[in-house]
Amino acid sequence: MNWNPSPPDDGVSRRSFLAAGVTGATLATSGCIDRVQSVVDQGGDEQFSLSITTVPADADRQNIRIARRLEARLEKVGIDVSLDMRSQSELLEAVLLEHDFDCYVGRHPADYDPDFLYEALHSTYANEAGWQNPFGFTSMSFDTHLEHQRRTDGDERKRHVEDVLSGLAQAKPFDPICIPEEHRVARANRFDGWDEGHFATRHGYLGLEPAAGVDRLHALVTDGRITRNLNPLSATFRNRGTTIDLLYDSLGTEHEGDVQPWLAESWDIAETTAESDSETADEGTTRTATVRLREGCHFHDGEPVTAADVAFTYTFLNDTSWGRAPVRSPAPRYRGRADVIETVSVDGDYEVMITASGGREAVKRAFTVPVLPKHVWLELIDQYATGDDFTAPQGRWAVVSGNNIPPIGSGPFQFDSRSEDESLVLKRFENHFTLRDAVDLPEPTVDEVQFSVDPSSNSSITRIEDGGADVTATMLSPHSLPLVPDSSDLEELRSPSRTFYHLGFNVRNAPFSNPHVRRAITQLIDKEGIVTDVFYGNATPVATPVSDEWVPERLQWSGDDPVTPFAGTDGDLNVEAAKMAFERAGFRYDDNGRLLGGY
Amino acid sequence: MLAEVLIQVVVVVGILLPIAIALFVGRERLIRTRSEWRTRLKTAAPTIAVLLIVLLINRFARQRAPRLSREIGFHLTASFYNIEGEFILLFQSIATPETTAYFSSIYVYGYVFLVVFPVLAYFTLPDTRMFRRLLTAYALNYVIGLVLYIFVIAYGPRNVMPHEVAETMLFENNPQYQYLTREVNSNSNVFPSLHTSISATVATFAAITRSTFPKWFPVAVVLAASVAISTMFLGIHWGIDVVAGMLLAALCVVLSDRLVGRWSVTELLGERFEDRLPWLDRSE
Repeated sequence: MNWNPSPPDDGVSRRSFLAAGVTGATLATSGCIDRVQSVVDQGGDEQFSLSITTVPADADRQNIRIARRLEARLEKVGIDVSLDMRSQSELLEAVLLEHDFDCYVGRHPADYDPDFLYEALHSTYANEAGWQNPFGFTSMSFDTHLEHQRRTDGDERKRHVEDVLSGLAQAKPFDPICIPEEHRVARANRFDGWDEGHFATRHGYLGLEPAAGVDRLHALVTDGRITRNLNPLSATFRNRGTTIDLLYDSLGTEHEGDVQPWLAESWDIAETTAESDSETADEGTTRTATVRLREGCHFHDGEPVTAADVAFTYTFLNDTSWGRAPVRSPAPRYRGRADVIETVSVDGDYEVMITASGGREAVKRAFTVPVLPKHVWLELIDQYATGDDFTAPQGRWAVVSGNNIPPIGSGPFQFDSRSEDESLVLKRFENHFTLRDAVDLPEPTVDEVQFSVDPSSNSSITRIEDGGADVTATMLSPHSLPLVPDSSDLEELRSPSRTFYHLGFNVRNAPFSNPHVRRAITQLIDKEGIVTDVFYGNATPVATPVSDEWVPERLQWSGDDPVTPFAGTDGDLNVEAAKMAFERAGFRYDDNGRLLGGY
Repeated sequence: MLAEVLIQVVVVVGILLPIAIALFVGRERLIRTRSEWRTRLKTAAPTIAVLLIVLLINRFARQRAPRLSREIGFHLTASFYNIEGEFILLFQSIATPETTAYFSSIYVYGYVFLVVFPVLAYFTLPDTRMFRRLLTAYALNYVIGLVLYIFVIAYGPRNVMPHEVAETMLFENNPQYQYLTREVNSNSNVFPSLHTSISATVATFAAITRSTFPKWFPVAVVLAASVAISTMFLGIHWGIDVVAGMLLAALCVVLSDRLVGRWSVTELLGERFEDRLPWLDRSE
């Protein structure tokens, strides 16, 4: 391996020092900011104005309703607001790739483990394009805790996670609003075992027990993006990557919060004391993992899956231009997960030695990225990385964003056909290792999985009821839940949710670079009221974006946000109190009650 | 799902059309049409061809247009919403189960009827000019509408104020219609309202021909007004889209008068062909 990555933990002190230099300052960003309406005219008499970017109700009804509630309250405190409506992929493009937004309301895919906060908030990613740090947030103390939680396990890790959560609740680069309940509806008579796996993961589609004569699973989605683009690395076309999980294998698979060997037959993660040549000497430890792959696995095109593909995957995620571009172009997805891995060396066809700068949990999380076929992607790089002045803009260049990437993985299902905005059909991959007698893992039990794009949650329910499909793969919208009929033909599925609705700020630009402004804005959000009115009670208001077991006592929900309580009572905004928060943040009002943009 | 909805529409409109023909057109015109339909079709053939070509282009453009629109279009949802705010919610004040049922059926069935009936009615006239003008106006509506859809990216009120229009929202109460509407258009194409513009076009023609079809005129006006209101009542269009639809209708009616009968096809295909399309020669 000739890979020399910039390690994610090249000394807390050095990075923190760099980060401190830009804390509170506007990061130099590339890309146009024409659309952004925030007023940066310091000291001027212009009204404070901002735009809230969100998706239309067809895509997610809750987002726009949260945005409009916020809009109404921002106007009450004298701010000029405009609602910027984008399709889901356009919203992600503006927020993740172009960083062209003031604030947005969206649903974050999160992850099963709080380590996702590392890529969400670490300073090292503040200028990157992709799911990593879209807020442009930089903080020395955050970096320290994020790195520590990554490196440690058990109680020590929990303490660092708690510190991150406390900091987040204070500094508000984004404000988690609530965690929605995930409801789905399925027909009861064609399959058994609906409850075995989460439908946002591969486990939802594996191990189902079809009734006699049933050989096809027909699932409904309301988001047509999987029918337009199946690039596993696309930042704008992926949400939780469920389809990618079916097409591709990963070394390990997450099921109910735990990562078990999947494409790997076994692994052994050992703690090693840092050698003298390691830059992590101040931290003491790195991990060495020996991963043994299952033998005889193949990609869908018939090529064998070997240790070289695994090594390729982690190297490639770190620089998708494969060294051809003048600057590295890390993948816009999976970047934070793969970053923990420092070196991968191949030992024969079926064994890899990995050194990692994180604890067991962080290493196992890195094992959940899709293993990409080296031969396919190297060819793609050859095809697209051409010309003397070749550059690979992060997250945007053809290989990581294009829709013409052959969707070849080694996963339990292989691509069959797709029809834009109508359907995606996957076939069972007959050579998948889970189909072997000796392997006791959930396997693809149907010949075919068809995802059909259905216009809405309401129509999906009717379609399932009428027998037009088997299950709603997309979680149902809360307003549709009363429409689910109480029938013995239907089964209502409920799964724990990890995603959360949130308000995200672009902290690169004034005035959102000011944490007091962000806090004053988040205090206009009545989370309890949102859960009641927008989610009809089918969500949990939160002050932290992680599941219960990680939330420290002091951040538990207690009828209101424990750190930035709603500026009012019972959903009624106390306008004077809310305005005072903006004045304390250094803003002033004119005689007409308009908040002025200057400091 | 789509098939079911389509069959429903065909059945309902199929029942309405003969009734309307009996009521508004009358036996005499039908009898005469029986003997003259060949010559009338021949005269109108170029116009029919133009309309069919436009509809075909429209069909194919729908697949390409969204991508082009994303490249060059302007996002105007925020502007529309800033200008008119919650104006369309005014119509919510007349919301009852009956008005909701009325406007929902007007939007789906009434509209299709309104589009198809005048085509048949004007075909029964000995002079094909009105027939050709109507088809020309339809074609213009589609062409100009398509161009505007490419330049304007805007989501309708139901996508911005889903909760406020939920009670009357077409798809909320009848989600099956969404299988039909998504075949026809994408949710970011709301400006202008083609429902309004085509209906207003039909109503204007009904006014022009009111001496010929006296009973049709009031019916067309009521139906057209109902369609325009239904688009706002059901939360599909902004007031701005409806106004734009009416302006588009006026433009198309005027243009149809100027264009129809202006060129004879034989002439166009003959000597003037090269003059009109001089680049044809040079392109090789």
